Amino acid sequence: MSELERRLTQLGRELDWPETPDLVSDVRQRLASPAPAGHRRPIVFRRSLAIALASLLLLAGGVVAAVPDARDAVLEFFGLQGATVERRPSIPSAPELRVLQLGQRTTLDRAGGELGFTPLVPSAAGRPDDIFVSTRAPGGEVSLTYAPAPGMPATGGTGLGLLVSEFRGDLAPEYVGKIAAQTTRIERLRMDGDRAVWIEGAPHLFFYRPPDSDFAESELRLAHSVLLLERGKLLVRLEGAFSRERALELARSLAPET
Amino acid sequence: MEDRPPQEAELIARAKSGELDAYEEIVRRHQGIAFRTAWVITRSAADAEEAAQDGFVKAHAALPRFREGSPLRPWLLAIVANEARNRVRGAGRHVRIAQRVVEERRPDDAVPSPEAALLDSEQRDLLLAAIERLPRPAREAITCRYLLELSEEETAAALNCARGTVKSRLSRALDRLRLELREVEA
Repeated sequence: MSELERRLTQLGRELDWPETPDLVSDVRQRLASPAPAGHRRPIVFRRSLAIALASLLLLAGGVVAAVPDARDAVLEFFGLQGATVERRPSIPSAPELRVLQLGQRTTLDRAGGELGFTPLVPSAAGRPDDIFVSTRAPGGEVSLTYAPAPGMPATGGTGLGLLVSEFRGDLAPEYVGKIAAQTTRIERLRMDGDRAVWIEGAPHLFFYRPPDSDFAESELRLAHSVLLLERGKLLVRLEGAFSRERALELARSLAPET
Repeated sequence: MEDRPPQEAELIARAKSGELDAYEEIVRRHQGIAFRTAWVITRSAADAEEAAQDGFVKAHAALPRFREGSPLRPWLLAIVANEARNRVRGAGRHVRIAQRVVEERRPDDAVPSPEAALLDSEQRDLLLAAIERLPRPAREAITCRYLLELSEEETAAALNCARGTVKSRLSRALDRLRLELREVEA
């Protein structure tokens, strides 16, 4: 062992590690009365959410004490199959630009074979510049990205003209989560019978809740105008700096590419 | 008759047959290293506690698939570390490895002069700071292997990579630490 390795080992022995909690009784209790299969423990999400919000507040130079109470501060709730939108009195500041984690780059042809569904493409926007597939959601998730173009200006958060994400909302009922402030316009819509929610006017927090994993904060970021749309078993999400009318036009043109 | 603590193989066999007391003893023996490993990955005591607890519950369910004769600790750490990775947040939160160093010295330590104590403290701070500047994979490898004193096999299990990957990460990380420390001292 080298001198440096010896010093590292010694350092580990001298560190003030966080105190190990007593896990024995909690583990025993859970083993003695297991939760029903598929049951989501809400307290875990609530705590994780509070921690996530706290981290954003810290980034923004705020204080942890200002974290809104995750249970009581919801003013309005909008639910779709695969997505939830909560309105709260305010949202903490968050970094505008986060690295998008959309998965592996692929082609439309290959994406069809990798997913549990056929991707829909908004023909009104043309062919996507890039296609990504992620296995984060059950059945997979596809993301189509478009460079800025007329009618689709660059979005501050992503630099893209349009970002389309699709996944099986029936398999992941709460996969996409959003928290919007009072200044954000949130509108329930019906589009050719399909339920939709339009969010516009101020950036809102956007994050993923993969099933069986409580909270993916790495995906926590600010989003701009977004249309969430149920289409059969799919939840489709269109994000960009465009108008409501343009978003609806893009959504109406969604179809499997022939 | 000598009242010796049960061997691990015996505990595993009893836990597999449904004895909760035996599994409780396994949790008691490994909870410390499991929690610290989870903390190294999550840097959050709350998340590490949840990850370790969930890991032990899942490991109990997976016990029938545990290969007899294999070492238990790497297997447990792999499950707990996986739970921890599921809770890893983005770049928004980064708690330092340690805010302070344990003040107590072992009784066999010589009492250092004030100057020597200061030097020790400075060296520790420099070393900690250099570790913090390492890229995440290297930092986790160094922390698991040396600060937590996991074996290479256990480090590989905790970091979900091959032993060869652990070796190469450690080698590069040690080189970088040596370089940084030399630069600071220069």
